[in-house]
Amino acid sequence: MKTLTANRLIDGEVVFWNAGGWVERFAEAHPFEDDASAEAAEAHAKAQGTLVVDPYLIEVEAVEGGLAPVSYRERLRALGPTNKPDHGKQAAGGADMLVLANAHGAARSTGRINLIKRPSAAPG
Amino acid sequence: MPMLIRWHDGKARVCEDPFTSVDDDQVIPPGDVIISLTRFQAEGETLMGQCRQVGVRLVPDEAVEVLAYDLARIPLVALAFPKFRDGRPFSAARILRERLGFTGELRAVGDVLLEQAKFMIRCGFDAFEPADGSRADQWTAAARRFRHVYQRAADGASPAFIERAAR
Amino acid sequence: MYQYDEIDRQMLADRAAEFRAQCQRRLAGEITEDQFKPIRLMNGLYLQLHAYMLRIAIPYGTLSSQQLRTLARIARDYDRGYGHFTTRTNLQLHWIKLRDAPDILDELAKLGLHAIQTSGNCIRNLTSDPHAGATADEVDDPRVWTEAIRQWATFHPEFSFLPRKFKIAVTAAAKDRTAVKVYDIGLRLHRDGEGELAFEVLVGGGLGRTPYLGPTIRKRLPTRHLLSYLQAILRVYNRHGRRDNIWKARIKVLVAGLGAEEFGRQVEEEWEKSDKAGVDLPDIELARIRAAFVPRGFETLPKVSPAFEAAKEADLAFARFARRNVTAHKIPGYGIIDISLKTPGETPGDCSSQQMELIADLAERYSQSEARNTYEQNLLLPHVRLDDVPAVYEALKSAGLASPNIGLVTDIIACPGLDYCALANARAIPIAQDIARHFANPELAERIGELKIKISGCINACGHHHVGNIGILGVDKKGEEFYQLTLGGSGDDDASIGQVLGPALPADKVTGAIDEMVAVYLRERRGQERFLDTFRRTGMTPFKEAVYADAH
Repeated sequence: MKTLTANRLIDGEVVFWNAGGWVERFAEAHPFEDDASAEAAEAHAKAQGTLVVDPYLIEVEAVEGGLAPVSYRERLRALGPTNKPDHGKQAAGGADMLVLANAHGAARSTGRINLIKRPSAAPG
Repeated sequence: MPMLIRWHDGKARVCEDPFTSVDDDQVIPPGDVIISLTRFQAEGETLMGQCRQVGVRLVPDEAVEVLAYDLARIPLVALAFPKFRDGRPFSAARILRERLGFTGELRAVGDVLLEQAKFMIRCGFDAFEPADGSRADQWTAAARRFRHVYQRAADGASPAFIERAAR
Repeated sequence: MYQYDEIDRQMLADRAAEFRAQCQRRLAGEITEDQFKPIRLMNGLYLQLHAYMLRIAIPYGTLSSQQLRTLARIARDYDRGYGHFTTRTNLQLHWIKLRDAPDILDELAKLGLHAIQTSGNCIRNLTSDPHAGATADEVDDPRVWTEAIRQWATFHPEFSFLPRKFKIAVTAAAKDRTAVKVYDIGLRLHRDGEGELAFEVLVGGGLGRTPYLGPTIRKRLPTRHLLSYLQAILRVYNRHGRRDNIWKARIKVLVAGLGAEEFGRQVEEEWEKSDKAGVDLPDIELARIRAAFVPRGFETLPKVSPAFEAAKEADLAFARFARRNVTAHKIPGYGIIDISLKTPGETPGDCSSQQMELIADLAERYSQSEARNTYEQNLLLPHVRLDDVPAVYEALKSAGLASPNIGLVTDIIACPGLDYCALANARAIPIAQDIARHFANPELAERIGELKIKISGCINACGHHHVGNIGILGVDKKGEEFYQLTLGGSGDDDASIGQVLGPALPADKVTGAIDEMVAVYLRERRGQERFLDTFRRTGMTPFKEAVYADAH
């Protein structure tokens, strides 16, 4: 199962695709029925250059209480940094954050579809 | 034909381009032309003997020093930016101007972006074929953004340490 | 310290105005993200996991108290009330919005602060000795030259689109506190055979995937030719550095490929053809910069401070702080005070706005309004009268800034790692916190002595793990965070690259492994040996056996 994510251009906020719009909470993200609709959404998002930066698809899976990204990197993006529980999306609290925080299973470290090694992956 | 902007007297203006840029596999048309270094080394003498202006286009892999001998007869050097991030033409430009004493037109072609205007002009470029749809007035504004410079380059601008000593 | 004059300030203001215009073009869709990204990076603005990160430059790690207060305020007004000091003596703010960036740059510019060239394929923030101007150990104040290089490198039209980032460090002391051997260019100021000041030029050091110690390409460069020689090096690199593969694009690869001798020859050839006088600074400008760094305002004091001695006698904790965190100053009666940002359990290198303001106040009152930040991600007050150290200590203690752990096992260097950084494979901060909590007891830490642990969350090595006495590299292995340990690295004059201990360990085994290795060290050490010394004498075997005992 896949979901589309990006960072919002104006403020860098992590956002997720929901039926043509962008939401801030992973729980409100709309997982795609099939690859075709996923790719169509990705193409649509890539054309929104003044709204979001670098949209990409991520794998998600069913966990206790809901869905979670397969990759722990994406779980961190959906939650916030582990050293500051009062920073990031997790600070808002809520059942959906707990679902993410408690998601079991060895998360794969990647899980980004079609990860391409490009110059933008260079370090600072 | 891509738009040509020339920089002169502190201003950027759209200009007619008297030169035709010719690829290696094209027939050379009449009139003033810009050809690759390879083609220049093969046909340059012949073409220059035909009473026309012959400009030379270099890609970053080509060392600008190879033109040194012929430079007095070359009215235009075009330095290609395959990708705007490839900074080799900046060195090539400075060497052409400051070391080899080139006084002809130094044109930036390829992936040429407005946001590099100041760097290009400082390195000695005086003509540009923008790849991003930018306008001449934008190039003038971009080139004028900084009141001072810290280091000498090909544009003759006085570096800060000279300004300070003069105060 | 150097004060920005009108020209310097106008540079910053013009740059901030330019960035504002560029942001507007980006938001209006006139330039693509691909075209905007190098511009954004050259203003130190990264897009990371959770938000934009702004990397503010602190050239040669020197700040005035006013500047430190400004950083505190910006962290409060535009971020979450804290900042992160890095191994490259920059300050990172991790929760920045693009729409605020132009305003932030405007406000920074008013105080002579900026984020110019703290990222991108250009010459980055210049670093130097954190004890510059305060140590008896130096032949000259390296910051004079570092400031000269900074100006020359700023908005350099020829060198803003290099094959890759470029880092320069300058040291002038016998003891190297800048890790100069692992820089693209390392400059060691020394007195030559005739007693003249000269630079030893090292090129091609670096960490990352393939760590290298930079070879010396020129033993003796007269100081007046510093900038023209740097131009020659940068030009050779700009023309011939690889651009086909980002992992092979640093100058270290070019130097290794050509060999140091051939590379040096090409630099000399370029240098000889160039118009040196056009690049090198005239004496009058060097004198102007130098004048800013002349020590002033020091009192004539006795070498020994009765108040300082008495305080050590009276309070064991203060005595420990004095041992670990106070270094002798070149002026009698003064000391250099290290402020640890490594309170066990805290995020290494993080500093809250309140803490910054406190340190700014202390700097103003007790340290000639000057503070520093260091390669170890700590802060420092360079010019404190020993008489005043007890008062400074009390103030630091009240703000949780008096950990007496400089250079000890809990003084860990750690990058932000996967908690913040889009490039990381694993988290670094929780590992650092776990280790530090384990060794938190100050007596234990002091008994262990000097032990430099450095943690990187990925191969980019921002935590400098290659040159840690114990280096820890986060890797991803089968979907979990694993950690590769290395031993025997050093970033000092006796620089060395760490050797791999064995197979990577899962996160929950790292602290235990460190504990085992410390036990081996305490068992094996002779005399005054540091951990590094014992390792160099015994080799890997006893450490490896202890950590991987269960595998047998």
